[in-house]
Amino acid sequence: MSMPSTATPKRSKQRWLTPALALLMGLVYLVAGWVGGDLSFGVIGLLIMSLTAIVFVVLGRYSETVAGLLDRRDERINSIDMEATMIAGMTVLVAVLAGFVAEIARGQDGSPYSMLGAIGGVAYVVALVVLRLRK
Amino acid sequence: MKNTVRELRAHLGLSQGDLGSAMGVSRQTINSIETGKYLPSLPLAISLSRYFQSSVEEIFDVDA
Repeated sequence: MSMPSTATPKRSKQRWLTPALALLMGLVYLVAGWVGGDLSFGVIGLLIMSLTAIVFVVLGRYSETVAGLLDRRDERINSIDMEATMIAGMTVLVAVLAGFVAEIARGQDGSPYSMLGAIGGVAYVVALVVLRLRK
Repeated sequence: MKNTVRELRAHLGLSQGDLGSAMGVSRQTINSIETGKYLPSLPLAISLSRYFQSSVEEIFDVDA
């Protein structure tokens, strides 16, 4: 039988992607707040997103689940992440549909829920076609 | 689906973390495979069978 390897697998550079995206979003909030004349919103947004990035990095050292989510190499964590994303997407879809119906019932035109629903519908159809061609 | 990963790992005196490191997955994933909560992908099943020098069918019992 093969000799076991007890070495901890080297972490990929991928693990920095999520914290980096959080920081980037914080900077986007800062710019948006500055442009919109609400600098406090931008500063608070940057602080919150910076804190989020730090939490990701720190938790990634102690939690195998968070480390797996950051590294993207553990197929079980990736599978769980995909299912969680699907559930979150379905939840948002239900909320958008409920909001749309409520707006129509109030005599409004259904916006912005109609637009959000349309984006979701188009994204689903495009993804369906692309994935169908690839698999 | 039952499997013999736990027995094979124990036979080699490996911890779940050791096997996880060798397979490039987490200790939790090995534990989930052993308890039957998670069915590994075909590449991981083949990697496990190569590691234990067994066939996939010998490790994973599709009829159980």
